[in-house]
Amino acid sequence: MKRSTQIGLAAVGVVLVASFWPRSSEETQESLVYNSLSDCRAGGQLSAQQCETAFSEATATRLKDAPKFNNQNECEAQYGANGCSSASIGGAQYFVPALAGFMLARGLAGSQAQPLLPPTAATCPPGSAQPECQQARAASSSSSSSGGSGSYGSNSSSSSSRSRAYSTTTGGSVAVSPTSTRGVSTTTRVSSRGGFGSIARSFSSHSSS
Amino acid sequence: MRRVTLPPRPDWAAQVERLGFAFHTIDDETYWDESAAFAFTLEEIERDIEAPTEAIEELCFAFIEKALASEEILTSLAIPAAYWDYIRRSWQSGERNLYGRLDLAYDGHGPAKLLEYNADTPTALFESSVVQWDWLEQAMARGALPPGSDQFNSLHERLIAAFAGLRTPSPYRLHLTCVEGSAEDKGTVDYLTDCAVQAGLDARFTYIEEIGLLTDGRFCDGANQPIETLFKLYPWEWLFRERYGEALAGSRCQFIEPPWKALLSNKGLLACLWEMEPGHPNLLPAFFEGDPRCATLSARRVRKPLYSREGANVTLMERGRVLDSDDGPYGAEGYVLQDAATNLFSADGNYAVLGSWLVASQACGLCVREDASPITKNTSRFLPHYIEP
Repeated sequence: MKRSTQIGLAAVGVVLVASFWPRSSEETQESLVYNSLSDCRAGGQLSAQQCETAFSEATATRLKDAPKFNNQNECEAQYGANGCSSASIGGAQYFVPALAGFMLARGLAGSQAQPLLPPTAATCPPGSAQPECQQARAASSSSSSSGGSGSYGSNSSSSSSRSRAYSTTTGGSVAVSPTSTRGVSTTTRVSSRGGFGSIARSFSSHSSS
Repeated sequence: MRRVTLPPRPDWAAQVERLGFAFHTIDDETYWDESAAFAFTLEEIERDIEAPTEAIEELCFAFIEKALASEEILTSLAIPAAYWDYIRRSWQSGERNLYGRLDLAYDGHGPAKLLEYNADTPTALFESSVVQWDWLEQAMARGALPPGSDQFNSLHERLIAAFAGLRTPSPYRLHLTCVEGSAEDKGTVDYLTDCAVQAGLDARFTYIEEIGLLTDGRFCDGANQPIETLFKLYPWEWLFRERYGEALAGSRCQFIEPPWKALLSNKGLLACLWEMEPGHPNLLPAFFEGDPRCATLSARRVRKPLYSREGANVTLMERGRVLDSDDGPYGAEGYVLQDAATNLFSADGNYAVLGSWLVASQACGLCVREDASPITKNTSRFLPHYIEP
């Protein structure tokens, strides 16, 4: 065998997921995402009262909108081991994906906080080191594609590397980049910009071969 | 080696777009061309392409040792003297390289001949690694090619492994950059970003025009994040000559490809290798223009600028008459003259050049590009290949 045995799977997986995976960081930076009530309080962007309100809204919405399963195994097959909890709804016992976090739109006062669920195989970014994602990928050997717009060579400027993945109650995906909250070291400042690229501009020629 | 005509998949465009291949058609011209494919035997691949590729890489390493000790060679390659020490340090400290592509003339008979080494900024990577791989799987699945067909292509897994080992400790933070406005370059870098992420790296893209300089001498990306390791799809000879060139040595940045690749991506390499190993079965006779030994070259010869990409400013001549040329902005730094290859594969008025891929200096993949002229240009088409069972 002179060719890779896994490359096709890895690369197709990359692209199939990328087609409905938010690739630009702008899409996620508009929202505030917290993994827990204490994260929210520690984050300092919202008051303790706002955090509690958001958390209780997300909790209630999760019970109302999240997929419900009759047994734990079915639920964990999608959301991973320890990804589910039992809930009593209308007197009946169900298993519901756990509350992995909650998200609210920045600057939209009065908007409802949305619950975030553990990632499923379909919502994990390729190559994610997140344990839930590795679990989810192992649990689901084949995922279906939705054919989409992701591509190599588009103009979106940054990838969702190192992001943390969640799924939503409707099966959508949310990626949160940790870089949005990390600033530059305070000891260095930019002294200039744009010192590379001038020859490519002046020649309008090929920088690659 | 055979050129086999095959019906393209009826939905080929949708199929390659499904993989994220955004530049299958460039300026309304077909670039990804699956109306034919190249068939090789396993022996042709292993004996005539894989083994010579690694032998040439080894010869290149011996050349670097020799060049770094010789001001005469560095001058002949038009490397600015201000960067000689910078390049020496990158070689002596063992900075690793990611990838490169040898362009070879080969028609299935006799040894492959080195046309040039795209050691610094090769593209055609994603289509080599992923798109032709998927094409082969589908061709076998629908019975267009016999089951058990294979391909010289372990690029994807090698790239991931190489990224992980380029720097210690790993994983590390990696920036990747290219110029704005080239779908092909951006596609190549997007694909490499994907590989880097799968290697566990913290990979971030920034356009080269966005790069800034911090007050402490380090480069930074568009978000002012310091750059410690930078994959740049941008040639060293340009970096050396631009405003930030003088900041390179103090930037504490590890570059991929490393600075020593500037010695190999230079067409002067062809004359230098021939000087070291005259008569090597995989080399064509070549000399710097002005060298009296140019008179010993065959009447049919090629004139190449030391710095040139995508065939620009390359001229094919016979007895002083120009047979084919490509315009471009290069040539100010000088030229080499090289015997025209006599074993370029041609069929139906098309010429094919093989691209033999190296990842971390190991031969591990092949691409074939075809052009209506013997100079492979940026208008060439990419054709898939397979190894017959």
